[in-house]
Amino acid sequence: MGRYVARRLGQMVIVLIGATMVLFACLFVLPGDPVGSIAGSDKARDPAVVAELKARYGLDKSLPEQYVNYVAKVATGDLGEDFVQRREVSDILAPKLQNTAKLALLAIALVTVFGMGVGIIAALYRYSILDMATTFFTTMAVGFPTFVIGMLLMKYFAVELQWFPQLGGDKLEGMVLPAVTLAVTDIAFVARLTRGTMLEVLRADYVKTAVAKGLPRRRVLFKHVLRNSSIPVVTYLGISFGALLGGALITEAIFNWDGVGLALVQAIQQQNNPIVIGVVTYSVAIFVVLSLIVDLLYAALDPRIRLS
Amino acid sequence: MRGAKSAKWVVGAVVVALAATACGGGDGDSKDKGSAANGGVFRMGSTEPDTIDPGRAHESTGILLANALFTGLYSNTPDGLAEPALAESATSDEGCTSWTFKVKPDTKFSNGEAVDAEAFARGWARAAHKAAASDVAYHFAGIKGYEQLQDGSAKTFSGVTTPDPTTIKVDLSKADCEFVLKTAHNAYSPVPKVAKVGEEDKAFGEAPVGNGPFKMDGSWEHNKAINLVRNDDYSLQKASLEKVQVTLLNDKTAQQLEYDGFQAGTFDYAHIPTPMLKTAEAKYKPQNKWFAKDTNGMNFVLPIGDNGPTNNKDARLAISYAIDRQAIAKGVFQGYQTPSTTIVPPAFPKAYQKDLCVSCVKQDVAKAKEHAEKGGLKPGTEIKFSFNTGAGHEEWVQAIAKQLEDVLGVKVKLDGKDFPGMLKEQQGNGATGIYRFAWGADYPTPENFLFPLLHSTSMNKDAEGNVVGDNRVRYNNPEFDKLIDTARSTKDEAARLTMYKQAEKMAMEDMALIPTFNRSQFRLMATDKFNGLDDINFNEDPILEKISIKK
Repeated sequence: MGRYVARRLGQMVIVLIGATMVLFACLFVLPGDPVGSIAGSDKARDPAVVAELKARYGLDKSLPEQYVNYVAKVATGDLGEDFVQRREVSDILAPKLQNTAKLALLAIALVTVFGMGVGIIAALYRYSILDMATTFFTTMAVGFPTFVIGMLLMKYFAVELQWFPQLGGDKLEGMVLPAVTLAVTDIAFVARLTRGTMLEVLRADYVKTAVAKGLPRRRVLFKHVLRNSSIPVVTYLGISFGALLGGALITEAIFNWDGVGLALVQAIQQQNNPIVIGVVTYSVAIFVVLSLIVDLLYAALDPRIRLS
Repeated sequence: MRGAKSAKWVVGAVVVALAATACGGGDGDSKDKGSAANGGVFRMGSTEPDTIDPGRAHESTGILLANALFTGLYSNTPDGLAEPALAESATSDEGCTSWTFKVKPDTKFSNGEAVDAEAFARGWARAAHKAAASDVAYHFAGIKGYEQLQDGSAKTFSGVTTPDPTTIKVDLSKADCEFVLKTAHNAYSPVPKVAKVGEEDKAFGEAPVGNGPFKMDGSWEHNKAINLVRNDDYSLQKASLEKVQVTLLNDKTAQQLEYDGFQAGTFDYAHIPTPMLKTAEAKYKPQNKWFAKDTNGMNFVLPIGDNGPTNNKDARLAISYAIDRQAIAKGVFQGYQTPSTTIVPPAFPKAYQKDLCVSCVKQDVAKAKEHAEKGGLKPGTEIKFSFNTGAGHEEWVQAIAKQLEDVLGVKVKLDGKDFPGMLKEQQGNGATGIYRFAWGADYPTPENFLFPLLHSTSMNKDAEGNVVGDNRVRYNNPEFDKLIDTARSTKDEAARLTMYKQAEKMAMEDMALIPTFNRSQFRLMATDKFNGLDDINFNEDPILEKISIKK
């Protein structure tokens, strides 16, 4: 197990190197000069300022040189300075990572509780009114684009009813609307997934055996059915959590949530490359780590799976 | 607990707001301008600024804050006139190459330090020095010693001396009879000794210590808020508001969030997203909360004048005649933009020459065709029309393209790029076609349009022939240059204005730039709660120092 984890982490380094290299190449292809213009202004930047900034950020060097310099700096924990505000990228991103993580945690909690809860109920009361309503609403929820959900929630609950603040903030009530926006689609997916796998497991021989030998219903449900049907659900939740931690571009933009997703959108538009590279590197890393955790959880849930 | 602090503020503000409306209710009419009191929290949303350091601030939020925190020698009135602020007098020699400013004595920074001539010299050198890499450093380009600061070999302007604490002497490398106007720009703010000169100074920009009507209340909380509190030691007319709370928004959705916030009562001032203008006007105009103004910004179609299909006057005239500005103003902008017929904006009433661009007044198909034929714009000719995407220009750019195709039979190739991409191409040696373009003034003078946009030295070509200056139409007319040069060194204002008008006429006859629309600004303002919300300043911001809460 220890060797397995070590090997996976080793792979992560390779993935990260690959991702940053591709990113560097992509940024290079973009038209225009990242420090040649001032974001949001129609005036061309003073050539003297352009020259000074190019020298300061090493943009006057060749691309491979820039890449080597970047990797060398990142290895010492220095993500460099951004082009727009000229602040340390790590200073800029630290609070944003926290904000995104807060939102992701609340969203994934909502998804787990409501997604699995609804799925379990629907499976247990198959073909009942509850089950049919679940099917109907989950289909709708999956079909609605996130931005529509977000904007509708904001319009009704923040602007008109004013139950929640319009702009997030640090308090729980400010997180509700963006977290719900993020969670809706995933709740629907998880509910359907839970329902499907539960129904399958409920038909399995070992469940029939458990019932036949007279185990209490609750014990059958939790010990046998739920545990076995949770493997695909856990996979989905893990991957989904990884994606959420990487920042939600649309939702963060709608609610002015100061997270990494919003930072990425803005940085791309401003060609603020140090931020883009910082965010993408982080997202890739967090995703790889979470998929590793999911794999480890597999083994815990199903002892038949061996990690090697 | 930064968050807790700002949340408390919101609650405080709501209480104040409730109290204000409760009192107002008793008196009836909201137009009641009568009683004002000191105090109150003015809440607005704005985009996260790039910087609020006065030596570097260059975009809307940065300029708003730099001007609230600092007061310079001069300031601009909302009507585009410069008036003295901390300057007691500004005089120049006959040739306008040497200026002397008398500074109001005994005024202070909010840390108690004196705002003397030295503080100004320090602020100017700091902003112009290479280490600041400031986007507004070019405003100092006319002062002797600028080059040495730009290459880092000096830490002071050789052309700026301070013989005594209330006197600043400025020597210019070239005559400039309007230099005094430049001192109204935030780059010309004085700074206290804690601000570092000649090295990168990030700390000062996080919580600048200034001499303005307001001072920082805490540091800049990035992406959250910047809070200001009244400076009770302010040396000019003191502000009335107790606090100003600027909530920082992200730039893509800021206008929508401001608008929603105004409706929800969490902001007292808001921009309006273009699609909502009609609804907003219908709802808020009757309540006296709607504000509209044509400002000093102008929109243009920028033709490349030395290359491609627009390399001659007739082709450019044909394009101008072919555009139906009224139809676009009505159809695309729903009447919220006015067609423009000049290069110099109507916001400069003394210099404004309405309908100077004859071809701009009304679409004229016959004349368009006539000039097209003379100018070699044959049907089928391809004209590239470049614009930056994602900034709301798509619709009117397409409308113009369609009109050109319909009237002239040319083929317009729309080329949307992000701004840096468009700029690079436009600067490039060999650029062709037409570009979307807009320009706003830094100082209230026609020179601020005519010189940077059309003077041949403003092309500022680099070694590869790329135009890195702002004259990207590549207008090169020695007679025009001479007029501008003479005007800049003419001390008499009336004579100077006449020359600028003449120069603008000359450029217009050559159709160097194609005017399209004036920059119209719209705001929502909580006039039921505050007095002084009847105008926006030269930088299109609320006039914070004039706002007071209604009793």
